[in-house]
Amino acid sequence: MSSSKFPADFDLQRQAFPGDDTPERSAPEDTGLQNQSGANAPWLDRPTCPEEYRRLRLCLDSLSDREILEGYRILRDEKVPRAEGWYYPNVRILHGTAFEREKDRREQKIWSEAHDESEVARWYREAREKPCAWWVENHIIARHALTSCMSCGVCTSLCPAAEFFDYNPRTIMEIVQEKDEQTLVELLRSDTIWYCYQCASCKVKCPRQNSPFGMLSSLRQLSQLKGYHVHSIRGRQQVAARHLWGGNLWNRACSLYYRDSHPETHRDFGPRHETLYRSIEIAFRQVGACPDMSGSLSARKIHPETLQEVRRLWHAGGALFLWQMIDEAAARGAVEDGLTIDEYHDKAKTEG
Amino acid sequence: MRDNAEQMDRRGRGNPWGRHIKSIPEGGYYLTLSCIMGSFFPGSESMIPRVYDLLGVRWGINSDAGSGWTCCTGIAYHGDVMPIEGTLLTVARLWSIAQASGLPVITPVCVTSFGVHLECRELYEKEPGLKEKINRLLMDACGRTFEIPKHIIHVSDVFYRYRDALRDRHFHYTLTEKGTGRPLRVVDHVGCHYSKIFPQQHAIGGAEDCRVLADPVRAWGGEEVDYPERRGCCGMGFRQCMITPNRGATIARTLKKIRSMAPCRPDLIVTNCPGCTTFLDKGQWAVHEVAGESHFIPVLNYVELAGLLLGWDPYETVGIQFHTVPVEPLLEKIGIPFDRSRSRLEGDRYNVGPPFAGPPTAG
Repeated sequence: MSSSKFPADFDLQRQAFPGDDTPERSAPEDTGLQNQSGANAPWLDRPTCPEEYRRLRLCLDSLSDREILEGYRILRDEKVPRAEGWYYPNVRILHGTAFEREKDRREQKIWSEAHDESEVARWYREAREKPCAWWVENHIIARHALTSCMSCGVCTSLCPAAEFFDYNPRTIMEIVQEKDEQTLVELLRSDTIWYCYQCASCKVKCPRQNSPFGMLSSLRQLSQLKGYHVHSIRGRQQVAARHLWGGNLWNRACSLYYRDSHPETHRDFGPRHETLYRSIEIAFRQVGACPDMSGSLSARKIHPETLQEVRRLWHAGGALFLWQMIDEAAARGAVEDGLTIDEYHDKAKTEG
Repeated sequence: MRDNAEQMDRRGRGNPWGRHIKSIPEGGYYLTLSCIMGSFFPGSESMIPRVYDLLGVRWGINSDAGSGWTCCTGIAYHGDVMPIEGTLLTVARLWSIAQASGLPVITPVCVTSFGVHLECRELYEKEPGLKEKINRLLMDACGRTFEIPKHIIHVSDVFYRYRDALRDRHFHYTLTEKGTGRPLRVVDHVGCHYSKIFPQQHAIGGAEDCRVLADPVRAWGGEEVDYPERRGCCGMGFRQCMITPNRGATIARTLKKIRSMAPCRPDLIVTNCPGCTTFLDKGQWAVHEVAGESHFIPVLNYVELAGLLLGWDPYETVGIQFHTVPVEPLLEKIGIPFDRSRSRLEGDRYNVGPPFAGPPTAG
C-alpha cells in the first residue's frame, strides 16, 4: 500500500455508524462494519484462515511507522457532532484489530527508544538475569506475600481454583520456601501458576498473614520476564492478555472496553446479551453513558492529553518493558510454529 | 453529621464488632469509575452522581483534558500484564488529582479498584522509601505529587452509611411484596476484593459476617437470607473469565454459587462488585445451557437496587435491560411500574430468550 492511499482513502462518511435518529434494528453490527471498511482498508481485516493471515501480515509490514502511527491517530480522533457531544466513530473499528496491535508494538518500541530506560524497567531487566530464588526474596510483592508459612493448608482448603484445577497453593508456597532453582523453573514453565483466580480467599484465613495469591501474582510476572510462560498453554495466553488489557490501557486508558464482550467470544452470555449488543451504543446513551463520545462517564473516549500522561506513567512503571518481553517471547513462538504473529496471537487466545 | 463509626472506632476496637467497624466520612468523595461496571452496567455509574446529589454530599470527578480519570489498572495488574509500580503510579496520579480538587476521600466504584487502592496504601506503609520513590517518578513523568489518603471508601460503604436516609427521605418503594407486604428474600454476594484482602480494617463486619449489603437490605425492608456458599468467590478470576478458553472455571464457580442459593428461594441476589454482578447474572445463562438448570434469579448491584427503590425509570435510568436474567418479575413483585417498550430488546423481553443459535455470520 502506498503512503498516498493512507489514510485519505478511508472514507469516514461511508462508514454506517449509528446516528441518533437511526432505529436500533438498523444499527450496523460489527461484522458489517468490518466488511465495509475492508473494502478500503485491508489492514483492518480480521483474518480467519492462514492465507488471510499472510495477506494481512504483508499489508501491515508494508506500512511505515509513520503511516501506522499517524493513520491510527487520525482515525482515532476523527469526530462527528452529536446532540450529546462529539462522537468518535472509528474507535470501534480500530479496537482489537491486528492493526491496533501492530501500531502498539511499533509505538511502544519507538517510545522506549526515545526515552531513557526507567529505573523500574532497569530493575526488572536486571532481575530477569538473576536466579528465581533471588526474585522471591527481592520482588516487592513476593517479599510481602510470605512471612512464615507453617504449611497448614488452609489456603488450599478455601481455594476455588484448587476445587476446579489440579492446583495447590500450599505446595506452591512450599516450593517458594525451599528455593530449589530447578523446581522453581519447572513451576514457572507450567500451567499451574496460571490457575489462581486472584480472589484472596487464601489471604483472609492464613493464620500467619501470608498472601499466596500475591505470591502467585509475583511468580507470574517473573515467568513472563524470563520467557518461561510460553512453555504452557495458559502461560502463552498472556500475549492475548497483554493486547486485551494492555491494548485497552494504551489506547483507551481502561483495562476493559465495553465492546470486549462481543457475542462471538461471549456465547455463554446468552441471547439477551447478543440482542443488547446489536444496539449497544444506543443502550449506553439511553442510561446517560458516553460510548466512544466526549463526556465524563462510562465508555467515554479518553482525551489524548490524559492518555499521554498515563502512558508516561506506564513507561516509568515498567509496563512497556514487560509488554516488550511478552511480545519478544510471542515473536519467537510464532517463528517456531511457522505462524504469523497475528495467527499466533489468535491461537493463544483460543487454545486451552 | 456525627461520625458514629469514627467514635466507635476509638471506643470499641477491643470488642469483636468494633474491630470490623470503619469510619465512613460524610462527604468529600472523589469518585473513581470502573472499567467493568462501565462496560456492563453503565446505568449504575450514571446513577451514583445522582444519588450523591440527592443526599447533598460533596463529591467530584475530574474529566479535564489533561487530568481526566482513568482506570486504576487493577484488571491488568491481577491479569499480570501491569507491574505493581505501574499500578502504584496510576493510583498515585488519581490520588494527586483528588487532593488537588480538595476531595480527600477516595471512593472507587469497583471492588477490584477498592482492593488495589488499599493494597497500594498498605505497600507505602510497609515499604520504607516507596512513597518518596513513587512521588519522584510521578513528578518526573507528569509534574504531580501525592499524599497517602486517609480514607479509601468503597461506594457501597457510602450507601451503607446513608441507608436509613435514603429509605426515610427518598425511597418510593421497599423490598417487600406488593399486596402481601412480605419482605423479599435477598441473598448477598460481597466481592472478594472488598472483604478478603483487608477484612479487619476495611470490610464492615469483616469477611465472615460482612454487613455492607446485608444491613441496607434489612433497612430497605428485605429479609437477609444466609446460604452455604455465601463467602465463596463468584469465579470471575480476571484471566479466567476474560480469556475465552478459561471461562469454564468461572462458570463452574457460578454454578456452585447459584446451586447453593437456589434452595433458599431468593427473590433477588444483591452484589457490590461489578465483576460479580456480571458473572452471577450472565453466568446463569451458561448454567442453564451447561447444567440444564433454569434458576434465573435476578441480580442487582446496590446502586441499581437503590435506583429502583427511588422510583427511577428501570430502563432509561437504572438500565435493567443490561441484565441477562430479566429483572421485570422482581419489579412486578415490588410493584414498580415499567414500560416494556423502553427495553429496546427484541421479541418478548420478559423471557430469557431462545437457545443461542451461534455467532453472527459475516457477509
